[in-house]
Amino acid sequence: MKELKSITILVIINSFIGSSVLYSQNTQIKGFVDALAGVQNDKLSFALGEQDLFITSELSDRFSFLGESVFRFTNTTPTKFSVSIERVVIKYNFYGNHNLLVGKHHTPINYWNDTYHHGRVLFPTIYRPLLFDANIIPLHTTGIGLQGHNLGDLKFGYDFMIGNGIGSTDVLDNDAKKSITAAIHIKPAEGLRFGISWYNDGIAKGAVGHDGMPMQWAVDQNLFSGSIAYFGNKFEVLAEGTLAINKTDTTGSQQTLASYIYAGFKIHEKIVPYVRLDNLSFQEGEIFYNNNNTTSIVGGIRYNINYVTTVKMEYQHQHAAKDGDSNRFSMQLAIGF
Amino acid sequence: MLLLFAGIIVKGQETTLIAISNKKGAPSIMKMTELKSVLKGEKQRWNDGTKVSIVLMKTNTPVGEATCQKIYNMSGDKVKRFWLGLSFSGKADAPIFCNSISELETIVAQTPGAIAILDKISIGTNTKTIVVDGKNSF
Repeated sequence: MKELKSITILVIINSFIGSSVLYSQNTQIKGFVDALAGVQNDKLSFALGEQDLFITSELSDRFSFLGESVFRFTNTTPTKFSVSIERVVIKYNFYGNHNLLVGKHHTPINYWNDTYHHGRVLFPTIYRPLLFDANIIPLHTTGIGLQGHNLGDLKFGYDFMIGNGIGSTDVLDNDAKKSITAAIHIKPAEGLRFGISWYNDGIAKGAVGHDGMPMQWAVDQNLFSGSIAYFGNKFEVLAEGTLAINKTDTTGSQQTLASYIYAGFKIHEKIVPYVRLDNLSFQEGEIFYNNNNTTSIVGGIRYNINYVTTVKMEYQHQHAAKDGDSNRFSMQLAIGF
Repeated sequence: MLLLFAGIIVKGQETTLIAISNKKGAPSIMKMTELKSVLKGEKQRWNDGTKVSIVLMKTNTPVGEATCQKIYNMSGDKVKRFWLGLSFSGKADAPIFCNSISELETIVAQTPGAIAILDKISIGTNTKTIVVDGKNSF
């Protein structure tokens, strides 16, 4: 009996050791950082960009973890820097290419937000498109989601996510309404991706919006987004648009259309001249966003020194209805480490 | 410089490659399109449920260069950038990059679901050669 007990214990220990050998935790830490120089209003300035720490870990055969934390300049803290948790995603691969995701995510609402995250070396341009700066879309969702990818001949993919809505924190929702994101895409050819998405949230009166201002009315928000991305051996095209419909009981529905198109041409594997056109068009009476119709053109050149070192130079001309014209010349050195 | 670059491409195209896998997981016969899809991180699990693990030679080795050319149709730098972007987006786990064929063979033999590319027939007891488009090599 005693011998049987010893054998049983040995078998249990062996099975634990065996599984730890097969699925030993593989953790990788990588990072991104960028430095900038820019001329605006006849003044040259140097700037630190973001320092992004990116951790992945295979916890077991089915569980994995991804974390992304960013250190950046913030004028409101004593140290003049702040740390933000950008992504904490625990993934459970329950079947084939289908996964359950829990944590804080970059909302999979469009290609840019779901692909580049804070890795500036991967950005096709120095700065994000204007629809990010204008807070048209929610960048993060803390919640739970289902994800599938590369399904069938068309390489169909989906993301369905439910989470804390706008005005919530990463630990508490401010109201009973949850945000819903539903996104699908196909990749019918090498480098080509078509995607559409829908985002819905009921934003409570008093909730703090993307711009830090409390809402004066409760808003029912629907965002419809579409994107076309093609990154081939010679040409690069990325076009995305979001139609935002914000409805309140007092002001009715207002529509905002935010879009951009990026195009690049590889004159050499490492050298890519590019342009990007942005447009923000707000309907009269829009109360959720800062109603400031804006157009912008960016022209630049990207030089990939190696796979983790990129230099970009670009010129941007912007016209905003409230702010008038502005011009900016920027240089960026972005690295991965 | 151009001649050197052209030489690397020709060298990469001339190297004969072989796909091997752990005995558990990958099928014994695959189409080239399937092999490329798997090696681009588009498949998380084999049909028997085993997790796919990709094992490659480092891109600056002759076999690594040939793999980049024949499988990814990219330079070594672009392949590394491709995987950086994919793993950063959380869509796939990056491959294990090896310095030597023996290291690669050992990892494949010890990892159920592992698939790898090398330039010679592997005779390990726990590995098998995958026939791609009806051929042992490509």
